[in-house]
Parts: sequence; C-alpha cells; structure tokens
Amino acid sequence: MPKRKVAALEKVDADLVSLQYKIRRDPKSYAQEFYDQWLAYDAQRQIFISSPSSASSEDNKKFHDLVDLIAHCADLYPDVTAPYFDQLKELLTQHHAVLNPDLREKVVGSLSLLRRKDVIDSTSLLTTLFPILISTPSKSLRSLLYTKIISDLRESNSKATNHKLNRTIQTVLHNLVTSDRTSTKGMWACRITRELWRRQIWTDARPCDVMKEACLSDNEKVVIGGVRFFLGGDKEREEMEDDSSDEEIDIKKVKHQGTINKKTKKRQKAMEKAMEKIKKQERKKHAPHPLNFSALHLIHDPQGFAEQLFQKHLQNTKCKFSLDNKLLVLQLVTRLVGLHKLTIISLYPWFTKYLTPKQPSVTSFLASLAQATHNHVPPDAIEPLVVKIANEFVSEASAAEVASAGINAIREVALRQPLCMSETLLQDLVMYQKSKDKGVVMAAKGLQSLYREVYPELLQKKFRGKEATMGLKSGEVKRLKFGEEQVESGIEGIELLEKYKEEQRLKKLAEKGEDADGDAKMGDDEDEDGFNSDEWEVASNDSDSSTGWINVEHSDDEDEGPAAKKQRRDSSTAPDLISDEAMAAAAEANRISKLAMTTILTPADLAKLAELRREAQLDKMTGNVSKRRQELIAKHIEDGVTADDIELPAQIGKKTTKEERVAMAKDGKPAREEHKSTQAIRKSKKEAEGKSSTNKEKARKKNFLMTVGKARAKHKRSLVDTKKRLTAHIARSKSGGRRRNGMN
Amino acid sequence: MGSSNKKKREKKKDFNKAKLKVGKAKAKAANFTDTSFKSKSIVVNQHTLAALDGVDLVGLFKQHLNQAINSKSDKLRQEALVQLTKDLSSKPIFNPVGVPNLLTKLLPLITDSVANVRTNFLKLLRALPPSDVAPHVEKILMYIRGGMTHLSTDIRSDTLSVLEWLIEVCPDETVSCPGGWLKTLNSFSSMLGWNPSVASTLSVKGWTSATKTSLNKVSKKNGEAQAKQITILAKFLEAGFRPETPLPYDEQRYWDSIYRMPTVPNPFAYLNLWGAQRDEDGEMYPDRISRQQVFDRKWRAAIKTGVMGAKQEGGVIGRAASVLDKVLRNAAGEGVKTVVEEKMEEVEEVEEVEEVEA
Repeated sequence: MPKRKVAALEKVDADLVSLQYKIRRDPKSYAQEFYDQWLAYDAQRQIFISSPSSASSEDNKKFHDLVDLIAHCADLYPDVTAPYFDQLKELLTQHHAVLNPDLREKVVGSLSLLRRKDVIDSTSLLTTLFPILISTPSKSLRSLLYTKIISDLRESNSKATNHKLNRTIQTVLHNLVTSDRTSTKGMWACRITRELWRRQIWTDARPCDVMKEACLSDNEKVVIGGVRFFLGGDKEREEMEDDSSDEEIDIKKVKHQGTINKKTKKRQKAMEKAMEKIKKQERKKHAPHPLNFSALHLIHDPQGFAEQLFQKHLQNTKCKFSLDNKLLVLQLVTRLVGLHKLTIISLYPWFTKYLTPKQPSVTSFLASLAQATHNHVPPDAIEPLVVKIANEFVSEASAAEVASAGINAIREVALRQPLCMSETLLQDLVMYQKSKDKGVVMAAKGLQSLYREVYPELLQKKFRGKEATMGLKSGEVKRLKFGEEQVESGIEGIELLEKYKEEQRLKKLAEKGEDADGDAKMGDDEDEDGFNSDEWEVASNDSDSSTGWINVEHSDDEDEGPAAKKQRRDSSTAPDLISDEAMAAAAEANRISKLAMTTILTPADLAKLAELRREAQLDKMTGNVSKRRQELIAKHIEDGVTADDIELPAQIGKKTTKEERVAMAKDGKPAREEHKSTQAIRKSKKEAEGKSSTNKEKARKKNFLMTVGKARAKHKRSLVDTKKRLTAHIARSKSGGRRRNGMN
Repeated sequence: MGSSNKKKREKKKDFNKAKLKVGKAKAKAANFTDTSFKSKSIVVNQHTLAALDGVDLVGLFKQHLNQAINSKSDKLRQEALVQLTKDLSSKPIFNPVGVPNLLTKLLPLITDSVANVRTNFLKLLRALPPSDVAPHVEKILMYIRGGMTHLSTDIRSDTLSVLEWLIEVCPDETVSCPGGWLKTLNSFSSMLGWNPSVASTLSVKGWTSATKTSLNKVSKKNGEAQAKQITILAKFLEAGFRPETPLPYDEQRYWDSIYRMPTVPNPFAYLNLWGAQRDEDGEMYPDRISRQQVFDRKWRAAIKTGVMGAKQEGGVIGRAASVLDKVLRNAAGEGVKTVVEEKMEEVEEVEEVEEVEA
C-alpha cells in the first residue's frame, strides 16, 4: 500500500521528532508526554501482534515512529521502559519473517541503540540477533544483522578485550558449527570469526578451534570457509594492518594552510583532527608490535586434525568435493604436515594417483607434495613418488615445461628430505643441464647446486664443484643421517648480534664525544662490561661517558676489530695458524656466553638477530647472488610452496611478447596520456596539487607594459642614486633580504 | 500601403523555404509541443475511470473501501466514507465484505489527521449493527487506546467519541474483554494527568510537581475537552460497575451451554488457551466484583484525588467531576451492600411475580 503524503499543517500537531527533542532536553517535565507515547506504543504493539501478517501500512508507519521515539528516550525513563527490550526481542524473534522491512530495520536499529545507550549489555543483544541471523531467509536483514553484530563486538572490545563476551560468542559459534555438521549455518560462524580475526579482535586459540571444527564439517561450503581461513587468514590480517596505516597526512601542508586561509571553526576543527590523527599514527608506530601467532600455530592437536582432515575429505572415496576445493584441503593438510613435522604415512601413497602430467592443476599437487615433505618423513615413503615424477614428467620426449616442472618439484622435495634420491636417478636428472631448453637447464642446475650443499657424495665427481670437493676432503660437509638433527649450541647468530651492538655503542659514543669534547672522565671500563645497559639507560650514562679520549680509544678499537677479523679469515685458509684461531674462538665463546647470560633479549633484539642472520647467509655466498636466490633465502619456511614456485623455471626460457615488454617498461612509471614535455607534466602536476608559481616565473610572466616604466626610470638614475640603491641592497641582504618599514 | 506590403510579406513567408544554417538550430515547427519539462507530481482531474453503471455494486463498495483508506485527498476519503455509511444504513444492509473485514481495514482511520474524516468514520461506526460489533470490541479498543494518548488533542477527543459509542453499543464487552478494563483506565489516567505511576518514576525530589505541561494546559478549549474526558470516564466506570442482573433459570439454555456448539466466536476467551500470556493489565475482568476489586486496589486513590482537584476547578470540569464522583460513590456503596441489596431485590421480584399470578 502506498504511504499517504502528510501535509505541512498535519505535521505541526503530531510531530514525534520535536517531542523527542523536547523530552531529551528536559526529561522531567515531559514525563507525562512520554508516558502517553509509551501507552500509544503499547496499544500499537498489541494491534500489530493481534495480526502480524496483515498489518496495514498506516499502522506500520505509526508503530515504526513510536518504536523510534521510545528507543531514543529509553535511557531516560528506565522504570517505564523496563519491558521494552523484551518486547522488541519477542517481536523480532517471532515475527521477523512477516515484519515490514522498514519496521524490521528500525527494530534492529533500536536494539543496537539500546546497547549503545547501555540499557542492555552486549551479550543479550548478540544472543538476540544471532539466532535470527542464521535463520532468516531475507538477505537484506542478514547483512544488516551481520554488520550490527560485528560492530557491536568491535565496540565492546575497543577499550579493553572483553574476555567474557568473547568467550560467550565463541562458544555459541562453536556450538553452531558442531551441532549440525551438514547444514550451511556454519558459514556464519566462519564469516564472523574470520572478520574478527582480520581485525585482530580475536587472536587466541579459541577462534582457531571454531574454524578447526568448521574444517571438519560435512558441508562443502563450511569446510572451504574454514580451510581458506587457515590458508589466508593471517595474510589478510597483515594486509589490513598495512592498509590502516596507509593514509598519510602532510602535516606541513596542513600547517601552512592554517597560516594562510581564513580562520574558521570548521578549518580549526579539521586541523585539530589531522593533528590528532598524526599523533595517533606516531603512537602506533612506536608501539611494540603485537606478537600475534598465526592461526596454524594455535591449532590444538595438529596431528589429529591433519589426520582427520585427510581421512574425511581426501582419502574418503565418497567425498564429492570439486577438484579446486579438494586442492585447498590438500594444501592445508600438507601445510600442517610440513609446519608441525607431522607423520601421516598414508598421505604419500595417496599422491601416486595424481602425479601424471595429464592431471588437471598438477603443479598444485606437486607443490603440496613438496610442502608435505620434511626431514622426519621416511625416505622410503617419498622415493617411489620421486621416481614416479621423474618417469612421468622428465624425459626427452616430454615438453620442456613439463620436464622443468618435474625437476623443480623434485628439487623442492629433495630440499626438505635429501635422502629421497638414489644415485642413478640424480645423475640422470643432473644430466638434463645439457638440454636445449633454458627452463630445464635452470631446474637441473638448481638440483645440482642443492646436492652440492647437502649430499655431494651422490653427485658424480665432475659435477661436485670446487667447494663441495674441498669440503668433502676436509670433512666440513657432512650428510645428515635420517633422523639426525643439526643441533645449535646456544643461540644461533648471537655473535652477530653482539657485534652489531658493539658497533652501535661505539657510534653513539662517538657522537657524544663530538658533542661535549673537553670533559675528560674515565668510566668506560664499566661500560664495556655491561655494554648492553647503555642501550636501555641512556640518560643515566650521560654524565660519565662523554670524554675526548674515549674518542681516541674507540678509534683504536675500530682499527683492531677488522684487523682481528682479517687475521681470522686468513687463518681459516692457512692451516698453520690454527693455534691462534683456536684461541680467538675460545675468547669468542667466552664472550657469547657472557652476552646470553648477562642480558635479557628483547623482542626487538630477536628480530634484529633474525635479520642479521639472513644478511650473513647472503654474504656467505660469494659473488653476485641472483635475485631468485635472495628471495629463496628470505622466504620463510612457514610460507609453504605454491604452484607458481613449481612452474617458475618453465617461464625462464620463454620469449616475452611486445605487449608484455611494454607493460613491464611502463610498470612503476607515472602515467602519461599524451606526448608532453617533462616540464609541462611537472607544471600541470604542481597546479593540480594547488601549489603556486615561483617568483621567477611570475616575473617572467609579468606584463611588459607594467615593467617598462621602471626600466626607463632606472636608466635615468644619477650615479649617486645608483650607489645608494646598491649599498642599500647589500645592507638588506645582510639583514635577511627583506625591506623593513622606513627603509629602502 | 505600408501595412499591405507587410501583410504581403508575411503571407509570402509561409511559402518560403526555410534556410538551414550551419551551427544554428533548425527552426521549430509551428505546431511544436515542448515536452522537455519535468514534474514531481501530476494532477489528475478524475480519480476513477471505472464506468459507474451501477451494475457492479460489490465492486463499487470495495472501491469505496479502498478509497477510504488509501486516497491521498481527504475529501475523497470523506466522500468514500459517506458512501459506505449510506450502503450500511440502507434497509436490507448492504455489506459484501462483512463487518470483520470492514473494521480491520477502516480502524486505522480513528487517528486520521483530518477532522472531517474522523467524524464521518464515527458516523459509519454508528451505522453498524451492534450485534456484529460485539465480537470485535477487543480490537476496536486497541485502536481507541492508541488514539487516546495520541499527540494531537483533537484526535484524542474524537477517539473518546468512538469510545462513547462503543460503551453505548456493547458496554459489557467493553469492560470485560482482555485489557479492556485496566489498560483503558491506564490510558484515561494518563490522558487526564492523574497518573501516580508517572510521578513515582520521576522521583521528584523538589517541592513542586508539574504534572500538567505544555500539552495539557487549561485553556477554555482544553477545559471542555477535559470535561468530556471526565464525563466519558464516568460512563466507562458506570458500565464497569453496573450490577449484573442474574439471568432467570432456563433449562433449555443450561443444556445448550453444555452440549450445543457455542454461538459466540471465542467462548473460552477467559481461559486464554491460544494467546500469549497476559499480565495484570492485559487480563480479562469478566465480572463486576473482580473489576471493582482491581479498581479499588490500583486506581481508586489516584482517581479520587484527581476528582477532588477537578471539582475545585469548578465550571464545566467541576460539573463533570461531580458526576464522576457520584458514580464512584455509588460503586463504593454497592460494593459494601451488594449482597443485602440483591437479596432484597430478589425478594421483591418474587413478591411481584406472586402478585401477578394471584
């Protein structure tokens, strides 16, 4: 039914909006009016409930307005409106299917308004909205409820984490997923959990548990929701964090505008807002990075989970998931296996069926296989697979892409478990570096260089290379037996950290020395002992560690440092200096133990340590290290293997088309729509930014007739006058280059 | 001469071929109609295109019914109501949709914004046969309660006229239907500003209590309105406290009530088998004693103080208040001596009957 138009005169008499305004201004005086409206609301509610499905538009409109009024004033008259929440709840839960959409939206809005006014608590709001979210057939209502639920959870966790509420909701979601495993209702649990994870509102193990249950559901959609969360949830979280800090405000510009523009309240407010935002960003920058664990690490009992997942969705022949979804599940299972070093023996024979070049998206299978391999997997389990890959993919007759993908996959597997290879097979594969195709050559060479590092005995002598041969001779390169672990004594790379800290300290000292030379004081002995302390207590050390001759001392130190290093390096190549080296090593070990014992490493220290280790590894590889190699090293083992990694070498030999080359050249350069000079582009850019022209430019553009008078006058000046001008000019330039009042 | 030349030129002009010029728009034709305007609304001169042959009376009735609710023009709504009233008061009553449907559709008009529509609606209600109205009293009362606390005072007073009609037509049902007694009293007290519950919620600490605010100011007009409110409250209470005459024993009716199908729509309403649970306000108070008890407990004190205040004001309000006071006193008196009186009456009746027989 159409709504009737309300004429202007009608409005004056019965305007609920103005009444609401009055009530809110002066609740005491308008109590009677509010009570009247409360009764009207009650009557209207009764009318509605007596026939919910056939309510007229007129009644709906009236009810809508009254609900709105009561919701806005509910906090002012708590006694009168005590049953209001329950009535709305009942209305929504029982009649949400037949309610007029506008009215329904208003009821939901009123409920969240009550929450914002603190009339009800979050738990009662969420327990009201949630059952409707999962049962209603209306899409618009669902999206409305979803946003309301998320925003309320955000709001109640904004100041401090509301553990109680979170636990309640997580339990509800968990029950939702586990109660009926075949229904799609679990999707909502997935969506809500994922969203809150992305916003870093939920970061503990419980939401992971909900998602784990979702993964083990019977419904394909729910399963994929859960799997996608584990595979991509953390990355999404990081991206979200990056996004939020993207908006940069040019503080200089804002301040400048403040000095130029007319000062209005609006501008001032905008300025304050900008300053506030900048302060917030600063604070965020300096805040310690929240140490959030990835969802994959927070899973309880990963072995059981991976086994169940594998048996239920992959091994089970009755499972009718699509190939894409199966691949996703496989990715998760193998990721878990690789990350937690799980043992699922039945997983490897299962792969056999899929390792043929004709299998759709076989590279994903290959990547998953590589992911599932780690050093605790028995070589017997993988060897047949490697052989199968070699037989199926790598042959003279197969296409170059196929062969390179096969070799690369084998390399990825062997990187994680080098013992999976037999001598003859390796020799055969390495021979492919004589192939015509560049991709195949690169893949084969990669395999060869891998084995040079980890297991050179397996290679033919001519392929071992200089370093590996020498290493074999000196016994430096040792292959690890199955189950053997390389054990680090102490903290790996701590000496790098120590060196770095020493350098930093010296640099700081040097700066200080320059600042206040003349003060001579001794006190650096103390410093050297607990050098780490000055990083933390800069202020206290200020007084006693700033001298001229410390400067001298430290320069000595610096000279000594590299010299000693050189010596050590020399000694490693020349064996007759062994005793020296041993002594140095002993001293080193001493110092290391001291650092680890005397200081507590902060998270920042650990991060620096990881960075230094990576750098050192890069340095170790002499010569120019390829970009790809650098990426490989920088890549964390937790990132897993993707199909792209497997396909990469096949791209190497390919020629690019012209379009691709043009696109590559254009990449990263500013767009230019038409052919213009660089200056013209720069100028238009400047104009677009709202910047003005320079004085020089203005002078150049000035109308000729305006300048001609002055030029003529200059010609006619007397010598004395000219001199006066020139001296005045010099004086002016000395005092800042400006004309003052009363001066020339 | 000149003028004839001019005319000649003008005549010639019609037959000249118009020159088309580059960059200039083509001249508009003489009979060109500009259709480029935009309008937010269109005025339609006649509202119905249906042929009024008088053949399809049912259709016409329904059309009137729709017009009465949906039409944007108040004149049209009003006329439609007049037509409907005419149909309903014709001598075999012409009502193709039935009273329940009619009421469901038309009841929102109680709070219509135009006074004429409301008065015409009341006329229509008066045209309805009372026996058909009785089953729908509860629903009508809901709308009445909604209107009684409406923001607009005019709508309030017009709604009271509807209540007055309802009390006239079916007094027993009005006071005994679910929510009919206490909820209606709630609305009355709120309307008159005699509400103790509002004052308590406010928890006023100061020495003033301004219950009467802007909307309830006593002007001449409002005074009359308040007098009307008090009068109708008196009528309502009178209906509630009216002594029930016991039905004479009828053997046939007794057996019918046990074995025959009931003739009223919801004979076991007092059991509330299907509806939602009722609270104290929404409960049924089917007999006089229960009504009086609950009235004494909840409202007597509040209304009494209100009546005292109104009496002191004098004038129209005072007169109305004294009527109400009388009703209250009668009820109180009856409440004490009910049993005795009834016995006396019975004895008198029996004597009369005997006299007649003799």
